[in-house]
Amino acid sequence: MTETHIVFDAAVAAAQDGRRAILATIVRAKGSTPRGVGSRMLIDVERGLVGTVGGGCGEAQVIEAAKEVLEHGTPQVVRVDLTEDLFSWSPAVCGGIFDVLIERI
Amino acid sequence: MTPAEAAGHVVEALSGGEPLVEVVVVGTESKEVRLGERLLVWKGRSAGSLGDVMLDRAAAAAAKEVLESRCSRSVQIGAASLFLEPHYPPDELVIVGAGHIARPLCRFGSMLGFRVTVLDDRPSFATRERFPEAAKVIRADFSDPFRGVPLGRGSHLILVTRGHKYDYDALRDVLLRGVDLAYIGMVGSQRRVRAALEQLVKEGIARSALEKVYAPIGLDIGAETPEEIAISIVAELVRVRRGGTGVSLRDQARVLERWIVDPRKPATKEP
Repeated sequence: MTETHIVFDAAVAAAQDGRRAILATIVRAKGSTPRGVGSRMLIDVERGLVGTVGGGCGEAQVIEAAKEVLEHGTPQVVRVDLTEDLFSWSPAVCGGIFDVLIERI
Repeated sequence: MTPAEAAGHVVEALSGGEPLVEVVVVGTESKEVRLGERLLVWKGRSAGSLGDVMLDRAAAAAAKEVLESRCSRSVQIGAASLFLEPHYPPDELVIVGAGHIARPLCRFGSMLGFRVTVLDDRPSFATRERFPEAAKVIRADFSDPFRGVPLGRGSHLILVTRGHKYDYDALRDVLLRGVDLAYIGMVGSQRRVRAALEQLVKEGIARSALEKVYAPIGLDIGAETPEEIAISIVAELVRVRRGGTGVSLRDQARVLERWIVDPRKPATKEP
């Protein structure tokens, strides 16, 4: 089963059981990013994460925005910028930028 | 349409249903069109809406192209920025032979998103217990190995039976059908492969058909154990699917050689 399949299955299950959850989808990517366009992650409030949009700082930023979307219900597109100085040795050094659509399921 | 409703349709497509394209609004400067609105487009129908009939129509036309190309893309239509992603059933991986190599092959193939079918004529080998990740494990009759196994353009076929004769017979069978598969690979030493190809030529199989057969199977990574050999084979599957070279990226990019100055050597110009 592909990752997409697993994430969508989890989304369907969460909705059926009435659990609150957020779907995050990479919808634009430029430069070198850990995951490509179409990568998805489900943030199930009770069960945790399924799938990944790249891990690290970028994913932390997505999870932060997800809290807001969960509360207000309005979808957001969050831009994750990994183009910091390549030699800072920060985890965000892939050199790319990507946009993540964050929405309540 | 909520993301969960869309997810239900996508799961259906991914589980072997009709392929579809998911269109979602990811940027908007119009009040009618809201972020996250979805339109699902199948070959002959659609569901949901982006909030504007004209936009739906234009998006459906773009979605038809994505359905064909199988590549996701972004488009700007009027005030809306859209993301279009195709969802289609997984490619088939058919493993003929349920021996030592087949087990890790089945596991890795499944991890890569293939729907795996394993065939063998030995009941004690063709078991669920040995291949928990397989979609199907079939006790086959090697005189007609592909009975009940549909092979098409999305099929990847790996011949790893216990005997070269069975591999040969299965290869001959599939080549005689004339189906254009995504991948055919067969294990064997250079000598065995040569004998098999010579025989197939004698039987009148076209050279162009034989050129598509990966035999000996796998990439050259020095594999020896069944697990290593399986890695070498799935690496070849990825290479065929994505179109890479199989060469170490280090040796392609040559970063050290090209960019990092060696103080022991006089500077040379990049060719």
